Amino acid sequence: MTAAALAVPGCATYPDGETARQLGEKMVSEAYPGMPEALVKRAVQDRPQALCTKIGKASLTREEAAEVVALSRASLRYPASGKLVGDWQAGARLAYSGTGSRIRGGRVEKAKENGALCSNCHMLDPGEINAGNLGPSLAAYGTQRGGSEELAKYAYERIYNAWAFVPCSTMPRLGAGHHLTPEQIADVVAYLIDPQSPVNRRR
Amino acid sequence: MKIRATVKGDLAEVRVLIAHPMETGQRKNSKGELVPTHFIQSLVVTHNGKTVYSGQWSQAVSRNPVFAVRIRGAKAGDKISVTWVDNKGDKRTDEAVVAPAS
Amino acid sequence: MPTSVMRDRIAVFLIAGFAASGAAFAQGKPADPLAVGRQLLAEDNPGDLWVQRGERLFHEKRGPGRASLERCDFGLGAGKLDGAFARMPRYFPDTDRVQDLESRLLTCMVELQGFQREEVIRNAFSTLDRNSDMEALASYVASRSNGMKMHVTLDHPREREMYKAGEYLFHRRNGPTDFACVSCHGDDGRRIRLQDLPNMTDAAQMRAVIAGWPAYRGTQGTVRTMQHRLYDCNWQMRLPDLGFASDMSIALTTYLNYSGNGAVIQVPGVRR
Repeated sequence: MTAAALAVPGCATYPDGETARQLGEKMVSEAYPGMPEALVKRAVQDRPQALCTKIGKASLTREEAAEVVALSRASLRYPASGKLVGDWQAGARLAYSGTGSRIRGGRVEKAKENGALCSNCHMLDPGEINAGNLGPSLAAYGTQRGGSEELAKYAYERIYNAWAFVPCSTMPRLGAGHHLTPEQIADVVAYLIDPQSPVNRRR
Repeated sequence: MKIRATVKGDLAEVRVLIAHPMETGQRKNSKGELVPTHFIQSLVVTHNGKTVYSGQWSQAVSRNPVFAVRIRGAKAGDKISVTWVDNKGDKRTDEAVVAPAS
Repeated sequence: MPTSVMRDRIAVFLIAGFAASGAAFAQGKPADPLAVGRQLLAEDNPGDLWVQRGERLFHEKRGPGRASLERCDFGLGAGKLDGAFARMPRYFPDTDRVQDLESRLLTCMVELQGFQREEVIRNAFSTLDRNSDMEALASYVASRSNGMKMHVTLDHPREREMYKAGEYLFHRRNGPTDFACVSCHGDDGRRIRLQDLPNMTDAAQMRAVIAGWPAYRGTQGTVRTMQHRLYDCNWQMRLPDLGFASDMSIALTTYLNYSGNGAVIQVPGVRR
């Protein structure tokens, strides 16, 4: 937790957590003047986000965790074709793209598609050093786990909504949040699993 | 301009920080129009009135450039003057005194 | 896309060569080659040009009111600048608001100089085509606290509210990425691509970063302020344009600055 304790005489506990939350929510509702309604909605928390907002040592209760997982499982959607493994070369482009969906001057940026943001947090192709460490390395993902249908389904669902597996995970709910389409996720799955993908090619 | 001149052994190291857009003529503004060239064309450094550096600059130098030159035989208390002229005819001169070795 | 192993080897060789030449620079051996560039920028910080311009603008009689900002009160009394920034954000009775440096400049530019509030806000962040007076003024006023320690106090109830609301907002999961500030800035050793992230729940790491704002940002080619930093983060989070000098921005700034109390202010800093 923060080392800065509030050492103030008098009303030492003001404001309490709930008051702070209400103040904060009021501020959010006033933080985006002149912005289109549909875009301001992005800042409104859904139920899982609200449950997952914890400060300091506060943690998720078992009931809350179960609720988040249940809501996340219910959100899962699959490609119409039923193919959970798509084109790994398309997936490679998505994995290293961090653009799309950002807002400037009240307008969403023009982008052909939203990048999948993977390399921001994950090592993927072991030859590419420009990758973050917020998530575990996914190098050799397919090589280590094999290419079974079960694995493809697991990887697909994990990308679609990571909170179905780890409630309040740091990982964005890319499919459920409509940042990626089911078909794009299938392409990313292929990038992770296909033996030809740089993720799995031996050096 | 911001000029720092310090003695370093038998030299003075002069560093100049210059505010100038240094437009290459290839950039488009927010309206999509080409921004015309606007850059420093010549820069002169004098030491106690004597020209020690005279350079022809071009658009290749970046925005808000940092320029450094070492002058042999300069001592603490000597006067350094820097003058630039750009392609629009604007001219700026600033002066500094060489500080002793820190 | 991916580099080949051969290019990796060449890159490593070049970095080693660069580091060797870096040792020739006066100020000690840098731990990594990029530190050489940062050191050069720190010694001749383009941000100093903003401070110069800000000082000029501060004393100039400007706006419909033909007034300078010399009577602006930043919390220590009208016209008193030394150490004022170090104690911000703080509560101001005349506006009945907790204000940070930029919102206070906005107040004074409107009330003392007669500028239109909407126009000052619209021009608050510079572009390559247009300078921002706000950026220069903020740089100047902040620089008048250089060498002093950050010292935000929460004696007033409104200041406490700002701090606690800021703490809540720092942890608030939202937006299409489901991130809160704490998602990236809540633990040691985190890195997004090749950018190291400070752990802002750790007071020492907070102190190492907070007192360098306003900062000259290399990728922006200009000085950027804390208001812009929060705006830019908001942009990355796929949220709408954060309102300039909004309560949300000031609450977060209060939380962050208080967490960084004790840091020695040195502005403009240098950032990516």
